[in-house]
Amino acid sequence: MLLDKIFSNQEGSASRNFMISALWWSIFAMGAGLFAGMEFSVPDLVHNVPQLSMPHLRMWHVNGVAIGWLSMGYVGSMFYMVPNLAKTKLWSERLGNMTMWAWNLLMVGAFCTLLNGATEGREYAELGAVLDVFALLALFCISANVYMTIVHRRVKKLYVSLWYFLGALFWFPLVYLIGQRTFVQLPGLNDAIIGWFYGHNILGMWFTTVGVGMMYYLLPRTTGNPLYSHGLSMLGFWGIALFYAPTGTHHILQSPVPEWLKAIAVISSIFLLVPVFTVLTNFFMTMKGKWHLMITDMPTRFTVTSCLFYLVTCTQGPFQATRWINWYLHFSQWVVGHAHLALLGTFSFILSASIYYGLPRVTGREWYSQGLIRAHWWLKFLGFLLMMTSLTIAGLVQAAGWAFGIPVDQWSLTIRPYWFLRAISGVMIVLGQLFFAYNAYKTLYTPAKLEVKTKEAGVTA
Amino acid sequence: MYRAGALGVLITFFLIIWATVLMPMVLFNPKPSGHGNNYAVSNKEVADPARGRQVYVREGCFYCHTQFTRLQDRGYGPLVKAGDYVFETPHQLGTARTGPDLTNEGGKYPAQWQKAHLINPRAVKPGSIMPSFSFLSDRDMNDLVAYVQSLGNERKVTAYVEAPAEYMQGTIPKTVDTNSDAAANAGRGLYIQDCAACHGMEGLGNGPNAISLEKKPANFTRPFYKQYSDEFWYYRVTEGVPGTRMPRWGDGGNLNDPRGGILTPEQRWYLVAYLKTLSKDRTSEDTVDKLDQLNSVGIERLPVITKEQWEPHSGEE
Ligand code: HEC
Ligand code: HEC
Repeated sequence: MLLDKIFSNQEGSASRNFMISALWWSIFAMGAGLFAGMEFSVPDLVHNVPQLSMPHLRMWHVNGVAIGWLSMGYVGSMFYMVPNLAKTKLWSERLGNMTMWAWNLLMVGAFCTLLNGATEGREYAELGAVLDVFALLALFCISANVYMTIVHRRVKKLYVSLWYFLGALFWFPLVYLIGQRTFVQLPGLNDAIIGWFYGHNILGMWFTTVGVGMMYYLLPRTTGNPLYSHGLSMLGFWGIALFYAPTGTHHILQSPVPEWLKAIAVISSIFLLVPVFTVLTNFFMTMKGKWHLMITDMPTRFTVTSCLFYLVTCTQGPFQATRWINWYLHFSQWVVGHAHLALLGTFSFILSASIYYGLPRVTGREWYSQGLIRAHWWLKFLGFLLMMTSLTIAGLVQAAGWAFGIPVDQWSLTIRPYWFLRAISGVMIVLGQLFFAYNAYKTLYTPAKLEVKTKEAGVTA
Repeated sequence: MYRAGALGVLITFFLIIWATVLMPMVLFNPKPSGHGNNYAVSNKEVADPARGRQVYVREGCFYCHTQFTRLQDRGYGPLVKAGDYVFETPHQLGTARTGPDLTNEGGKYPAQWQKAHLINPRAVKPGSIMPSFSFLSDRDMNDLVAYVQSLGNERKVTAYVEAPAEYMQGTIPKTVDTNSDAAANAGRGLYIQDCAACHGMEGLGNGPNAISLEKKPANFTRPFYKQYSDEFWYYRVTEGVPGTRMPRWGDGGNLNDPRGGILTPEQRWYLVAYLKTLSKDRTSEDTVDKLDQLNSVGIERLPVITKEQWEPHSGEE
């Protein structure tokens, strides 16, 4: 009985549980980010507690948001989107729930090890060997589940979103396998090349591909418009598949790695503009005549915000990847701003949209409070803009410092106000996320009498 | 059709893996250059740099510190070569420079300073935002310091700083013999007039104005300044220090125009002649630079490094 509860076979339970877990971990991961951000303003905030020293918090923050919040949320979203698009049930809810527990266990492991500094010392691939194997197994289970669902589909044609999901679920486990380098010892610079192959492709072959797939799913559904062009969507898919993966070396453009590799990275980074603009043209044309929904319908608002930030991210990215701009901006906080633009501005927003859209449909309950959703959007949106601006300005000050050859400690006082603003923005974002989690909690765990609340405009099943 | 699609996904992906993962592994095999870090130099009984590297990784120093110098980095000593990194796994190249680059950090400061800095960065660098690592055990701390001290030890660093190309030797006419006493005397006069209010009569960075400045004026008596070339001094005086109250004394856009800037080029060369006489030699009584003396540095008792010597930019005496 208990086993049935834990590894439930109920339809939609795996999706629901993944989404709740994502929300749960997001609080800790984003909270750690906020705490680390505060330590830039007040470096002696805590003293003599290794678990709360900035680098340890940073490791957990990055892994927590990437592997906890975003990845779990993505899997949860795929678990309701894929069956829906394939007009069938998820192949195995039980397997889905098992992976859900496995993934949560992985996160507990990550929390305990990273905060204590048990790291492999490779950015984005910090998790230790045992956890790596665990994550890989879980990823294979998820892939199997989704692929089997597709095999049992009851429609002939596959919608673009499915192309993206299936692609991502094929690429990402492999990228993860290559990127962790757990059992190999490569010479330093080769290690760096593989490291950035992974560091960039966790973004390109997972966050982007699944995120864009979710945008393709949500936009037509929330607006009720058909997708503008299927031809463009295919062009975008192949463009991303081709040009995203080789760009990794643009993270170490100025280190002594081979020039031809840098050339490949820079060229494909610039080519990325092509798929990005096709994808976005498709999105914005799909919105035609329905822009007003951004005011009334919250999932639409989150989706469109995410698309707009995607536009900014992907224009900024190729720009930074060119040698001359990189010469100036590299190593500065500008890049940190860019990273948040992608993972927070674009992919957190699309994931929020997907949860706001999906959770009521998976559980059959209306959101507890629309006001909280609005508050979440405003806090995250304004908080994010503040963070982006302060980090970008701080980055420009730093870049000017490096370019003039002025030692850090001579200009670091100048960027103090921006550290402070960044911490404030962190407070807003974490608060927004807390509203989100509270709202979800209230929605799921209050007795059903709230279900009879009138439906908001645009939210139709 | 889907079969073709799946095949396409497979092929593109493996093509990319082949080009950006496998090819570099096969084609890119730099030989060890003997120009990087040598961890075998210090007595392992006292402190082990190789183990210190693990502490460096564990404590995540690489999130704030990078380990490669670039052409345009003028403050970090010699440029790296591909062969320097053969034994550096996991790589610690780093991505963000919240703090300075550490490629050539070894020997830049006494070991004792490094330890004090790790225990409480703000004690030796006011205003620093580097976290305190006072929680490290004695062994970890000593190993970490030994590691930091071994960074770039095979690169034979003689100078960390280098003026930008437009200031390099020969590009700008040097109108004054900066080694002559006469020039230094002339510079002293200008210094008292224009600089002493901030930098202090003795160049200790403790002039009366220093009290009101957040970023304290430079203390020219630090041994660190021994490595400054005339051109570098000239560059610094001409361009000032952006982000601080240090004025720009020359007209950067027009280096040779006699009317350019607050001070004429000749006056700036006189100042250089004076400034370079201020820095002291590093003396062994003031500082300990032996790893085995690290144990005398404790949390309760931050080291006896005299402030004047090792604290770069303090205005206090
Ligand atoms: C939050 C980011 C941060 C982390 C993490 C960090 N540092 Fe720093 N570090 C700085 C900043 C900022 C400075 C410049 C101000 C100063 O000297 O204190 C600095 C300066 C230094 C310097 C002096 C460099 C010079 O030439 O002036 C050394 C050495 C150093 N850090 C070593 C370390 C080591 C070792 C670790 C890991 C245990 C570490 N740092 C972790 C930010 C950081
Ligand atoms: C308003 C106060 C003020 C005055 C006047 C002033 N300085 Fe400065 N100076 C500073 C400050 C502040 C710094 C930055 C300290 C630092 O670099 O950390 C500085 C830095 C410098 C440096 C760079 C030191 C380094 O670390 O590279 C030089 C050289 C210098 N001053 C020379 C002069 C000379 C020569 C004059 C007189 C012509 C002068 N300064 C007048 C405040 C002043």
